[in-house]
Amino acid sequence: MSSEYSSSLRRKIDEVVARYPKKGAALLPVLHLVQREVGCISPEEERFVAQVLGLKPMKVREVVTFYTMFLRRPVGKYYLQACSNLSCSLLGAGPLLDYLQQKLGIGIGETTADGRFTLSTVECLGACEQAPCLMVNFDYHGQLDREKIDRILESLE
Amino acid sequence: MPKIFIDDRAVEVAEGLTLLQAAESVGIPIPHFCYHPAFPPEGSCRMCLVEIEGLPKLELACSTVVKEGLRVRTMSPKVVEARKSVLEFLLAEHPLDCPICDKAGECKLQDYFEEYGLFKSQFKEAKEKREKKFKLGRNLILDRERCILCTRCVRFLNEITKTEDAGILNRGIHSEVGIFESEFIDNNYSGNLAQICPVGAITDTDFRFKTRVWFLESRESICPLCSRGCNIIMDSHAGYPRTLPTRRVYRVRARQNLDVNFHWICDYGRYGYAYLDEGREDRLVWKKGDRETRLSWDKAAQILSEKIRSLVHLRKNSRIGIVLHTNLTNEELFLADRVFRKGLGVEKLFLADPPPGKGDEFLLTADRTANRRGLQEVGLPVQAPDLKALSGLDLLLIFGHYLAAGTSPSDLKNALEKVETKALFASHKSGLDGLVDFVIPVPVIAEKNGSLTNIDGRVQPFVAGLSFAGDGIAEWRALLDLARELKVEHKYFSRLASPEAIYRALRKEIPFFK
Repeated sequence: MSSEYSSSLRRKIDEVVARYPKKGAALLPVLHLVQREVGCISPEEERFVAQVLGLKPMKVREVVTFYTMFLRRPVGKYYLQACSNLSCSLLGAGPLLDYLQQKLGIGIGETTADGRFTLSTVECLGACEQAPCLMVNFDYHGQLDREKIDRILESLE
Repeated sequence: MPKIFIDDRAVEVAEGLTLLQAAESVGIPIPHFCYHPAFPPEGSCRMCLVEIEGLPKLELACSTVVKEGLRVRTMSPKVVEARKSVLEFLLAEHPLDCPICDKAGECKLQDYFEEYGLFKSQFKEAKEKREKKFKLGRNLILDRERCILCTRCVRFLNEITKTEDAGILNRGIHSEVGIFESEFIDNNYSGNLAQICPVGAITDTDFRFKTRVWFLESRESICPLCSRGCNIIMDSHAGYPRTLPTRRVYRVRARQNLDVNFHWICDYGRYGYAYLDEGREDRLVWKKGDRETRLSWDKAAQILSEKIRSLVHLRKNSRIGIVLHTNLTNEELFLADRVFRKGLGVEKLFLADPPPGKGDEFLLTADRTANRRGLQEVGLPVQAPDLKALSGLDLLLIFGHYLAAGTSPSDLKNALEKVETKALFASHKSGLDGLVDFVIPVPVIAEKNGSLTNIDGRVQPFVAGLSFAGDGIAEWRALLDLARELKVEHKYFSRLASPEAIYRALRKEIPFFK
């Protein structure tokens, strides 16, 4: 329900919308704002954004499903995105990903039972100089090995 | 007008046309899937690639606009090779289920495949599995394996109905046509989606698995279900009686007419064809008390004219009435006017029509009859059929079965009982059958020749697309026969032996029809 969204979110949306000549053009930044506040873009959020921007929900759905950075389901408190592209793979991302899965006890795309961690792979984090690389929420961690992964996870306990 | 060269043929084409349109206008078809004349070019299927002299790569014919001096090749080895490659890519993710696909026989993918002969598959990998019967709309099933993502359906909903119900979800190999949650496509034009889908991805539950397209005979007609007069194609088993003829028409499709219905028809017209085969009058009968006698139209015409003649002879013209309706053709309304009003001095002309429905802002009109404008232009002075006026008559010719609607059956029965002779010319069975002396089956619009005037005053001729099976008679022929029997202006009416001849007279006499 649209009434559930905070007035600060609504204010931010209004600010963003005002920057564009057409309301619909603010779709991407508004989706980012909503995702930051709610944690994901579920059908409810799609309806809300569509209503705010005067679009049909289907138009919002098209955009949300096109971009992989929009999450359609809630994720854990810590969202781990491990790079699986060339540079990282050459430097051992594969075995490290196996280690991460084993340590967290979840597969790719899954969330731990306590709701703290969600693991996913991404194509490239744009940080090949730090390969193999992992992104935890918005923080980068590079030149990973098992010990470093242990330390990162401990710091997130 | 720019002059361009298509396959070494110099042609002058209109400014602003695309190469594809220009080539089509001079009879050179360029294969395509996503291009549809109703929408701006999309360029997603890549099938229309052509070679333009001086350009390093092949260009899209659907989105390249003509320019003075362009030299285009539509069948060069490079173009043919490109088309083969495009088809190969499309087919890589296409299930080869033509034997169970409703589109087989009229599928562009199938046709081009045959034309470009990609019979030897190089494909070794497993095919992507996708949803094969996704409910897309009220009458629409989407097969995502067959879809080639031309987005014609999405663009139709964006640009024609403006409902924007469907879109492309995900991206890359995962792209698919979808709807939001379970908000199915449910508008009065959704049937067009199955028609514009170039492959078998969107099928119509009304047609799905009922027959095969190569058993169908396509005939042109005019939709008589509202006053728009949309141009249609009726697909019937008329030509190929393969199964028991439980019904003739299996599908009605839109026929392009940019002045009337563009490329579309509404669902009311598309799915409303059951009336063609259901509840039809098929026996010409004469009822006397409880006895029913079957007789020929010639005999019935003699009896009826005898009664009319005796009334006219006794100067009781005012005791003759005619009930008309506006699903009659221009020719029939014209004849009704000339034979009865002008010829015999009958003044009691009534109009009984089906009740209006709800129109929309696109094609469907509230008026659910085909020729109200025709009645106005022919200039028949008609009145509403009030029962008191009807009951004071001695002879009543009732055209159409619409008189039964809108009046209470017992009142109508009482009124008609007072009328000595009642003849009903109707295409469909109704409550009137039991109240009249003669029931004379007549054809519907799809079964006769004539013309209709649509709501905008456009006169559209049509020819019979289906044969009329009952032992009745078309109204225009019945009116002419009565005129002949009654010897009304013999010289004039004997010349009008066909709807075409009647229309020529109509044109001469009523300026509107010029």
